[in-house]
Amino acid sequence: MPRGTPRLLPRLTALVVAFLAVLVVLPLCRLVLVVWQEGRADIAPMAGSDGLRTAVWHTVALAAAVTLAAVPIGVTMALVLRRSDLPGRPFWQVAVLVPVLVPDFVLGYSWTQAYARAGFTDTLLGLRWAGIQGPLGVWLVLVVNAAPLVYLVVAVGLAARTEPDLERAARVSGAGPATTLLTVTLRLALPGVAAAAVLVFVLTLGTFAIPQVLGAPAGFSTVTTRIYANLSLGGDPTSFIEAITLALLLVIVAAVCVAPADALLAPRLRAVRGADTQGIPALPGRRAVRRAEAFGLAGYLFLTVALPLTALVLSSVTRALGLPPTPGNWTLAHFREVLTPRTFQALGRSLGLAVVAATVLVLLGALVAVIERARSGRAAATLITLTLVLPGSTLAVGLLITYGRWLSGTLTLILLAYLAKLWAFAHRPIAGALDRLPPDEMHASRASGARALTAVRTVALRPLAPALLGAWLVCFLSALHEVTMSSLLYGPGTETFAVVVLNSQELGRIGPTAALSVVLSLLVTVPAVLLFLAVGRLRPRPSRPPEHLPLEVARVG
Amino acid sequence: MSAEPALEVTDLVVSYDGTTALDRVTLSVRRGQVLALLGPSGSGKSTLLHAVAGFLVPAAGTVRLGGTTVAGDGRPVPPERRDLAMVFQNYALWPHLTALDTVAYPARRSGAGRAHARTEALEILERLRIAGLAGRKPAELSGGEQQRVGLARALARRPSLYLFDEPTAHLDTHVRGVFLAELVARQRDTGAAAVYATHDAEEALGLADQVALLHEGRLLQTGTPQQVYDQPADLFAARLSGPASVITAPDHDGGELLVRPGWARLGGPLKGELRAVWFRGPHSDYLVAGPLGELLIREPGPPQHEIGARVGWSLLRSWPLP
Amino acid sequence: MTTKSIGRLALLVVVLLGLGACGGRNGSATQSTRSATTMTLYTCVSDSTIQPVITAFEKSDPGSTVDLFRAPTGQLNARVAADTRSGGLRADVIWGCDPLTMQAFVEQRLVGGWIPAGADAIPAQYRTGNYVGAQLLYMVAVHRTTVPAPRSWSDLAGPGYAKVAVPDPTVAASALGALGWFAANPDYGMDFYRKLKSAGAVQVSTPDDVTTGVAQGIYDAGMTTSNSAYAAKKDGSPVDVVWPEPGAVAIYGPVALATHSAHAQVAKDFITFVTGDAGQRVIGASGTYPTRPGVPGPTIPTGAPIVHPDWTRIGTTKAAIELGYKQVFGG
Repeated sequence: MPRGTPRLLPRLTALVVAFLAVLVVLPLCRLVLVVWQEGRADIAPMAGSDGLRTAVWHTVALAAAVTLAAVPIGVTMALVLRRSDLPGRPFWQVAVLVPVLVPDFVLGYSWTQAYARAGFTDTLLGLRWAGIQGPLGVWLVLVVNAAPLVYLVVAVGLAARTEPDLERAARVSGAGPATTLLTVTLRLALPGVAAAAVLVFVLTLGTFAIPQVLGAPAGFSTVTTRIYANLSLGGDPTSFIEAITLALLLVIVAAVCVAPADALLAPRLRAVRGADTQGIPALPGRRAVRRAEAFGLAGYLFLTVALPLTALVLSSVTRALGLPPTPGNWTLAHFREVLTPRTFQALGRSLGLAVVAATVLVLLGALVAVIERARSGRAAATLITLTLVLPGSTLAVGLLITYGRWLSGTLTLILLAYLAKLWAFAHRPIAGALDRLPPDEMHASRASGARALTAVRTVALRPLAPALLGAWLVCFLSALHEVTMSSLLYGPGTETFAVVVLNSQELGRIGPTAALSVVLSLLVTVPAVLLFLAVGRLRPRPSRPPEHLPLEVARVG
Repeated sequence: MSAEPALEVTDLVVSYDGTTALDRVTLSVRRGQVLALLGPSGSGKSTLLHAVAGFLVPAAGTVRLGGTTVAGDGRPVPPERRDLAMVFQNYALWPHLTALDTVAYPARRSGAGRAHARTEALEILERLRIAGLAGRKPAELSGGEQQRVGLARALARRPSLYLFDEPTAHLDTHVRGVFLAELVARQRDTGAAAVYATHDAEEALGLADQVALLHEGRLLQTGTPQQVYDQPADLFAARLSGPASVITAPDHDGGELLVRPGWARLGGPLKGELRAVWFRGPHSDYLVAGPLGELLIREPGPPQHEIGARVGWSLLRSWPLP
Repeated sequence: MTTKSIGRLALLVVVLLGLGACGGRNGSATQSTRSATTMTLYTCVSDSTIQPVITAFEKSDPGSTVDLFRAPTGQLNARVAADTRSGGLRADVIWGCDPLTMQAFVEQRLVGGWIPAGADAIPAQYRTGNYVGAQLLYMVAVHRTTVPAPRSWSDLAGPGYAKVAVPDPTVAASALGALGWFAANPDYGMDFYRKLKSAGAVQVSTPDDVTTGVAQGIYDAGMTTSNSAYAAKKDGSPVDVVWPEPGAVAIYGPVALATHSAHAQVAKDFITFVTGDAGQRVIGASGTYPTRPGVPGPTIPTGAPIVHPDWTRIGTTKAAIELGYKQVFGG
């Protein structure tokens, strides 16, 4: 697969191009066409408005600031967590990923419940942080949300590109631990760090829920919140065109950032390493240092994950907002509201949809990972990253305008939307794992008489399994949580779980939404743990199973 | 020569997740001497080198470098503060640095300015006759060239002890000999000691002053190459240190004798049948089977007999195995 | 052999896509084979109201069925905008949550031109010649039980409330309705918002966010819809609801017939039903305020004052009002 036969590669490329055209290019072109035909006259005055300039400035500055903070945190996590002698390492490896499991709207809310006026710390200690509802709060919660993503991408990079001997060579050449980190480890992880930075930047450009929940009280508007406002109060065509124009503007900003980064990074990302390469550190550290690291990690996770999420779980079982979360006020009513016969029906539909979407996405992600190894395929990776920044509502509108004539209200259209939106999520981890697959193993398989796909199935699948599984899980989870696009695209008989639940109580009622998050998280966590155990058993070297698995299973993007 | 050995390892124990990788290993290397660590893969050679370099912390025992305890007595000294350099089996060249910057790296770490470190590095590259490669990165170098850069980096450190971890394992045969000669010559020039890990008996015997045989984390035998070759401690040590045949002792006491290929000659009173013949260029090897067992006999020149021929042979010397 | 492999891969993808489409085909099948008595309704009215209304209608008019698309206003608008650019509006009836959005649809000739014969039973301020109000929202004051109840809207700008939350009028039509009413009222005007701001008020996104924040204790009081405020109080949150002087601001949700409805008869029947007495009673019983006088609905305290924004004026001056507001609250 890394180097397909001369005939296979063009065919795969053609397949990817076809999917790209259907999922990304056509809908985007339709949107551009709509703006061009109907809104040419409005663009110039719109671009000149102060509000838009402020929003664009906020968006870009926020994305840059989040990237600047999330990258060091994520890199630190990756460096600390690759230490096999870290006390309680398997636990931490899972714990740092928890923010990924929770929809960000709920995460934003949980922070206010923990730290704002009348929140946890205010009630217990009289400590509160007014800035949580404002640019600083938006920034902080986004950083906490993005750090696990950086951790995942960088950890993969560390595992793929830093052989322990390279660090040992530095140490034995006279470099201390810090110098080795700077001159060797981080230098080698640089492509991964850069890739993570690009991903975080693009995701932050397109993020909506947290700026909306935490930024509004301070009058902090971003491009995405303006898009939301335009659509909300825009029965008139002008605001609709403005919303699409803003979304396309985001795409252009993202393209300007992603395309050069991908062009620069892609060739460097492809390194060939031995099959037994492990991302373990070269040297044991001092126990005291490890303990201090574990302590620091515990403190960070307590403040950023445990406290807010405890607030979340408590509000899922507390009768009403503003009541103390004591047993007297506990109730399962929110869970009963979420779990009605109607929602179970929709849940079945959602599960099916999510399974199909995740499976197709893993195939598509793998396809792009394969073809981008050739020069001709590199643009594909950049293109699919762009849909990541497109707000769900705009992407859905684009798909609806392009295919609504035939597919309006069908599950197929919802599936297309999921595929377009999540393709990059499936692609990035698989591409990372493919890096680690030595081509000789594939060559040996082909030389032993296996056809291209047989070779993939028999030889490549096993080492790639954790990454594929991780990508599958992330796509499955995101599809299950997805509400913006589905609530715009569904029709009679195709309501998804999240649509039914949110329709029954509008966004904003926290108790049921918290209950929904808890249910969905359990729904995902239980199979994830089972799969993790299963994969653990599949590992060829049973003597060291906890080395990398947790990280790879849950890898995001 | 100073009284303190360059390296002294005493009762060293290393264990990973409950399994013992090194079990009470004791050895020492004097200044200017080369110790070959000879053992099959998995015998603990790399583990021993890693413990000496400071890449892992031994469970028990001490490591002393030039009389200073670096492990086993209080906090272990980190690798960068141990007076040694290492050449790795996989070269361990940093993919982002050119050959020149790689070789300049140790000098930079000991505080030299960039320009000075580079000048020094270039001198070393010149000495190894690879100055032309200075601007290249590892991906643009052949295996032999990469390992030369690896050697240059170790030389740049100017240590009192070199650790060579199977440095020729990945090199082509023809490059190997040249590289080995270069390595030994350079190391001898500096007057420093060296530990050379290998699984190749010929290599070990040829370059070492002392050979230590390792098996499953234990030291089987230490001695000069000749001692190890002529008087191996047991059958395993005998097989490890070169081609070996074992036959029943002719003087009917039932003991077993080690016979090296050169220790017997064709022609003589003892009878046997020729089972196989290998032409090796300068000499030929004959596998002879007889009542005492099978043994390998080495004679100069091309093969003289056909397979299946009845031949006579005589035993020149032997070593009784315990 | 590579051709075979690629063929297999393509087949797999097609099969998976087909699997995904299965459920969808049911949907399109209903659409293509549906009888003339099936209509499509686009609405932003809450599920708890729209479901009983549809059930009651289908019962009262046997043989008719309603296909429902329900979404928050933003999604609804996007869907309508996308529909019109891909073969035309697929709804037969739109039941919106504010008159502004509906007026925009009328101006695009998507809906309107017909109202039911009995529409004059609905008060004149809740209808035009193109659409009729079927349900109401009231903007009221919500406050924590630990602070004194405000008597009038202007009290919120007074010293008793350290933190007041107002919904964003560029996001929520109900908030824009309130802003329009305050801006036009000589006793309040934009000055009211200025005073609120200088007293420390903050703007959050939607009325629901106001209720959430007040219930949580982040804010002392706020401006929100009566439904969300009473729901929080009923759940047990430590909040209370006030219909302040000079009045709670009424925002009506209009229902209109699509101009190119292919199922106009059942669509007209539906509109007649929901604005008629029986439909209004179902709405009232479901916890939403009906527009028909005399039909029982959720809590309105006796003698509670109610005011009505001038939607036509708000429609024409929207940009100016928002600009004035933004000068106060930024954003």
